[in-house]
Amino acid sequence: MAKIGVFDLSVRYGKLTALSDLSFTMPEGERLFISGPNGAGKSSLLGAISGAVRAAHGRIEMDGEILSGLGPEQIARRGLSMVPEGRRIFASLSVRENLMVGTGLRRDESAVADDLEAVFTAFPILRERANAPAGALSGGQQQMLAISRALMTNPKVMMVDEPSLGLAPKVVDEVYDRLCELQKLRGLTLVIVEQSSARAARVGGRMLLMRGGRIVADGDAAEFAAGDLLTEAYFGDPA
Amino acid sequence: MITQHQIRRRMAATTPLLLSLLILAFVVAAVTLGDRATARMASETLIRVTLVVGFWIFAGNSGVISFGHAAFACVGAYVSAWTTLNPMMKGTLLPGLPAALAELHWPVLPAAITGGLVAAALALVSGAAILRLSGIAASIASFAFLAMINTIWANWTPVTGGTSSVVGLARYITPWVALGWAVSAIVIASVYAASASGLALRATREDEVAAAASGIDQYRHRLLAYTVSAFFCGVGGALMGHFIGVINPDGFYLDLTFLMLAMLVVGGIGSLSGAVVGVLAVSLAVEALVRLEKGITLGATTFALPPGSQEILIAIAMILVLVFRPTGLMAGREIMLPARWVVGRGTSQDRPETDRR
Repeated sequence: MAKIGVFDLSVRYGKLTALSDLSFTMPEGERLFISGPNGAGKSSLLGAISGAVRAAHGRIEMDGEILSGLGPEQIARRGLSMVPEGRRIFASLSVRENLMVGTGLRRDESAVADDLEAVFTAFPILRERANAPAGALSGGQQQMLAISRALMTNPKVMMVDEPSLGLAPKVVDEVYDRLCELQKLRGLTLVIVEQSSARAARVGGRMLLMRGGRIVADGDAAEFAAGDLLTEAYFGDPA
Repeated sequence: MITQHQIRRRMAATTPLLLSLLILAFVVAAVTLGDRATARMASETLIRVTLVVGFWIFAGNSGVISFGHAAFACVGAYVSAWTTLNPMMKGTLLPGLPAALAELHWPVLPAAITGGLVAAALALVSGAAILRLSGIAASIASFAFLAMINTIWANWTPVTGGTSSVVGLARYITPWVALGWAVSAIVIASVYAASASGLALRATREDEVAAAASGIDQYRHRLLAYTVSAFFCGVGGALMGHFIGVINPDGFYLDLTFLMLAMLVVGGIGSLSGAVVGVLAVSLAVEALVRLEKGITLGATTFALPPGSQEILIAIAMILVLVFRPTGLMAGREIMLPARWVVGRGTSQDRPETDRR
């Protein structure tokens, strides 16, 4: 059974079609990059899966359970966690409070403490700044915090929208290193929106190339970087 | 070995204690140093602490400004009047009261608690509709709610007495009674703020989308805070009624709404300490100006401010706070003991921490 299944998904904003009849499935533990030019529908796809954007029609499943129609908080509680674009952390709350927000509905208190310890071990800077307001962290640290906060909900699937946005290349490397480590450690299924296909190729994984609300190519990220598909997606005739 | 987190929690636990001591010191000073008028001012100030701290439980944690909380005070005051007034008086003043209510002659404490509970029940029902809206839309709906309650109370003459006042409420409020309720409000407010629901609500205040992505049901937490908040505003209203002895619907309308808002803004909406400090600061400033309006005598000359200057000067002070310190006097900080005090001397090597919420 596929971990995530998307079938004939369409999203419209008024008259504008953001996604049209899009389908794909992904197995558990996979790393999937979603790439494509601006307006391709990448964020709409993540939004629809996480419940923040309402689908016009189509079906989204996780482990065979239908997610379509649920609110974002209900989907988050089923183990699908979203790291929104632009590092939307809770700026005036402390770093620790940011992390604890995601655990509000978990009853397994000792596991929460273990997870917090695991996050602090993975990101020592967060332990160091645990009581500082999150808004005082640097951009890269805020991205780590946003990812850690999503981890604290104990997700099976994590979706990260443009983790490299507005960060220095060196910091982006670090973010990806950590993401990959965490995925290996916890067996996460990972969906990442990444503008740079070169970066996706370097990190490695499967890649969906989107354009005009459709998937125009689906394959190994490393092969994309070499081929013409990318040029086609960005500069070719609209599909 | 004591962790940073434990230190931090102990520090946070000192906030309600210190705030309670602050208002206790205020009462002791007012009672021992001042005259009767000062003692009354102290009672009134502490009733406002109950109201504004109640208001803060919702507005401070959710970041949604409610204009409807004076309505809860109105309901609390009338419930207390309905349950405590002498049945004979009720027969003449409020002929339309249902027989079950008209016969009641309760002691004041259960009446105040019931006033709070009825206000909370009303909040649960009205909030179920209002809190589905977000941001400014919720604020405007809460204002509509205030206007509705005021209109109903002003026109439901057989039950509420309409615009003519209900008189004869037992005047039992001493500074100590008011202190008891103010401390209760502070304790419950800090317990709520430290709870999982309080944290969740503050997260929605910072970013609704990210909060939902973290699995937070914003509506549920808002409704809980709104209900708890209305309880203390209801109690505060009951206390106001028994403090003056006379109530009418306009005593719980725009003036009270803006006074509560002003106090919260001056003190800083971002922290519980801000709510308490705001009430004290505004109340003391008003009191000082009122006395200056009456005139103070220095030797042979009497110096007095022209009547009405109190309102103008308070408004100017508020503008100055908004311009120079837009986050209020406390700027989102809580009053708490420093780390070395809660750890015990000599054992702490920890650096001082920031105390922002």
